[in-house]
Amino acid sequence: MKSLREHIQRDFSKNVIIALSVLLIALLIFPKFSSYTMLNLLTRIFVISVFAMSYDILRGYMGFINLGHAVYFGGGAYVAGILYNKLGTTIPVFILSIAVVVLYSVICALVMGKLSFKKGTSVFAAAMLTLALAEVVRNIAESWRDVTNGTDGLIFKVPSILSNRIFFYYFSLIFLIVMFIILRKFILSPTGRVIIAIRENEQRAEFLGFRIENYKLIAILVSGVSAGLAGLVFGTFNRFANTELLSITYSTNALLYTLIGGTGTLYGGIVGSIVVNVFQNMLLNLRSIHPIFERWLIFLGILYIAVILFMPKGIVGTLRHFIENRKVKSDNEKSSKTEKAPGE
Amino acid sequence: MDIFLTLFINGLSEGALIFLVSSGLAIILGLMGVVNFAHGALFVWGGYAYVWIYQMTNSFILGILAAMLIVFILGIIFEKFFVSRLYGNAPAQILITLGLNIVFIEIIRLIWGNTPIAIKKPDFISGTTIINGVTISHYRILLIIIGISVLIIVNYILKNSKTGMVIRAGVQRSDMVQALGINIRLYFTIVFAAGAALAGLGGALYAPLAGNVISTAGANNQILAFIAIVIGGLGNFSGTAKASFLLGLMNAFVAWFIPSFAVVTNVLVMAIVLAFKPEGLFSEGRKSILRLAVKK
Repeated sequence: MKSLREHIQRDFSKNVIIALSVLLIALLIFPKFSSYTMLNLLTRIFVISVFAMSYDILRGYMGFINLGHAVYFGGGAYVAGILYNKLGTTIPVFILSIAVVVLYSVICALVMGKLSFKKGTSVFAAAMLTLALAEVVRNIAESWRDVTNGTDGLIFKVPSILSNRIFFYYFSLIFLIVMFIILRKFILSPTGRVIIAIRENEQRAEFLGFRIENYKLIAILVSGVSAGLAGLVFGTFNRFANTELLSITYSTNALLYTLIGGTGTLYGGIVGSIVVNVFQNMLLNLRSIHPIFERWLIFLGILYIAVILFMPKGIVGTLRHFIENRKVKSDNEKSSKTEKAPGE
Repeated sequence: MDIFLTLFINGLSEGALIFLVSSGLAIILGLMGVVNFAHGALFVWGGYAYVWIYQMTNSFILGILAAMLIVFILGIIFEKFFVSRLYGNAPAQILITLGLNIVFIEIIRLIWGNTPIAIKKPDFISGTTIINGVTISHYRILLIIIGISVLIIVNYILKNSKTGMVIRAGVQRSDMVQALGINIRLYFTIVFAAGAALAGLGGALYAPLAGNVISTAGANNQILAFIAIVIGGLGNFSGTAKASFLLGLMNAFVAWFIPSFAVVTNVLVMAIVLAFKPEGLFSEGRKSILRLAVKK
């Protein structure tokens, strides 16, 4: 617990805590003053943030490139839709769908983990395997038309309380906060520490006696389940699921959010999700000015390449680096001042 | 029996096509250790370039050459400005090529739109011959011939020419090769671009076979190519060739006899290979020179 406190102290200085509380209050009273479009944008950002954070567990904390992460996200959305369509739109069904999503994600994660964390599998082969598994699931969703409605996508109704936009806004805000706390606790737990150790030096971690494959499995389980839940909430929010949610586009989107925000920071996912979604919204609004903005993905792709080339730590990582540098500098100045003092 | 022969030829031609895409990947991966996730974009660029030039000049040969040239130039751009900054950093290479893939596929959609463009086979090759009741498409025979010629030529260059030697040496000790007065960076650029041009060739040949060209074709073929590479052994050129033809044949037969199973077979085979023989189905036991680069 001590290390947790240290972490909180490191990341949350007094000013940051004040800023965060102000932000939280602003977010809580936000629906009173805003339009539905803004509300929807924020809700989307909250849900996508969870998806991005779940990806960060793998990419940032374990150094694993998962190109099939959409399996969980899209799967979550589909499970919700299928259950609502088959069993009706009641709150118990929603709760049941949570259980089913967890089960589904656990199964997917076990299969994916068992296959890609085998010894002797290179980064590339593992990435390929996840991509291929995702393609299998997407193809199943496409061809199993009775249940998933194929490429047309699945439209469904949700419990009436969940279709209230303002309620859903609060719901997803709470979802984000809860998931953030859970994932942070996980990263700060001894298990999380071992996972970071594996990223830093797999061989050494193994020689210390840790069964690294088991730890990797735990990480992909946690990550998969959180992505599945994010997908469930996302599906409930949109009342729609299509095969694109299962495609590599969504996996690379998750990668994009974490990379832009900063990998291995957990906040990075949230920051990346905000930046990308706001940017995307802006570009979509610019469509009426010039048709090139129809293809807004170009600009996102360019942003993504620029981040990899020039800002590999992402926004949060770069900021943190900057703040730490300044701290070191001010510490140096302080110490040089104290050194000077006796001489004067 | 007839159907077997038809399926066999279809499978071989499909395998040749897979090989054209995967060979470029295998060269780039095997020689330079770069995982190129932008290969699908290069493939589609080849397809569109071919269609563009073919519709203008009505010449099959010109279309193919133009496709290869355009994709070759794209390959130079990719290597010079993006990939070359990240040698030795495999995850960053995967990420940056993924980004390039997104951007260049979107550029295609911007220029040519998102709907498929229909394209016919050129007249001189569009016919079929019937031997003993077996219908043989000329175009598929052409594909097989091109695939096998590329295999022989590239294999020869890799094993025997000075270029192959320089690159193999450059991967192991680039400083030493540079000390001998050889511009190793230039060689790397050319290898990358040549691998890209092979993808372009694949795309150009794929378009008439499929009857249309669409921006999503790249992703599917890229996955097939990756599967071929994993099955053949990472960076193992001849292994990739064998795996490509195996995949092509398997696809043809499975699609005919158990169509509902067609989608998952490739992935299933790859998963099995990775689970039981992660070094690849066709690895030669001894350390192939090509594979050294990947290990590094």
